[in-house]
Amino acid sequence: MRITSRLVTPFIQVYGIYVILHGHLSPGGGFSGGAIFGASLILIALSFNLEAGVKQISHQTASILESGGVLGFLLTGLVAIIFGGNYLANQAAGFPIGQAGELFSAGAILIITVFVGIKVASTIVTLFYNIIEGEK
Amino acid sequence: MIYIFLLFLVILTLFLRFFKGVEVKTILTLYLLGLIIFLFSFTVAEMPPFGSPDNPAFNEVPQRYLEAGVAETGAVNIVSSVIIDYRAFDTLGEATVLFVAIAAVIATLKSH
Repeated sequence: MRITSRLVTPFIQVYGIYVILHGHLSPGGGFSGGAIFGASLILIALSFNLEAGVKQISHQTASILESGGVLGFLLTGLVAIIFGGNYLANQAAGFPIGQAGELFSAGAILIITVFVGIKVASTIVTLFYNIIEGEK
Repeated sequence: MIYIFLLFLVILTLFLRFFKGVEVKTILTLYLLGLIIFLFSFTVAEMPPFGSPDNPAFNEVPQRYLEAGVAETGAVNIVSSVIIDYRAFDTLGEATVLFVAIAAVIATLKSH
C-alpha cells in the first residue's frame, strides 16, 4: 500500500495539473482537476498516517490557498472592470484570446480555471483533515 | 382493472398488517409515497423526448454558444467557455458555496 501510493502519487498529481491546465481544451476543468489533485494528497494521508499528510500541506498553507483561490477569482473579475468591461468579462475587457486550441489561449478562462483548481484541491484536503481530526 | 388494483391493495394491507406486523401508520405512509410516485410519473411522461430538435431547450442561446463560442472566448471546450466565460458569475457562486461549506466545517469540527 505504501509503496504503491508512493509510486502512483506523482502521476496522479501530474494528471490533476494537466486536467486543470487543459480545462479550456479538453473535458475537465478546475473542479475535476482540483478533485484529482486533492485525492492524491488524501491518498498520502490514508496510506501513511495523518502526520505524513499534514507534512505535505499544513493547515496554514491549506487555508491560505483556500482563501487565495476565491480572492484570485474575485480579483480576476475586478481586473476586467478596471480594463473597461463588465464584471468577469473576458474578451470585452481585453484579455488576450490567442490562437484557439493552444495551451495559453482563452484569456481569463485559463486564469480562473487555475484558481478554481487550487481552491477545490485545498477544500477537499481541508475537509478530509478536519473530519479525521474531529473523530479523535 | 381498477377493482383488481384495489383488491390487490386490500390484500397487501392485510398481509403487511397481520403477517408482517407492520404499523398502520407505516402502511399509510407507503401508500402516500406510492401515490406521489404515480403522479410524478405522469410529469415524466409529459417531458419532451431526449435529443429531439424540437425541444424548447434548443433555442437561439445554445446555437449562439456553438457557433460563436470559439471566436468569442478562444476556448475549444464549449462547456468550459460557458461555465467560466458566459456564466462566470454562476461559477463564482459555486466557489463561494465551497468556501462557506469549508468555513462551516472548520467552525464546527476544529479540535484545537
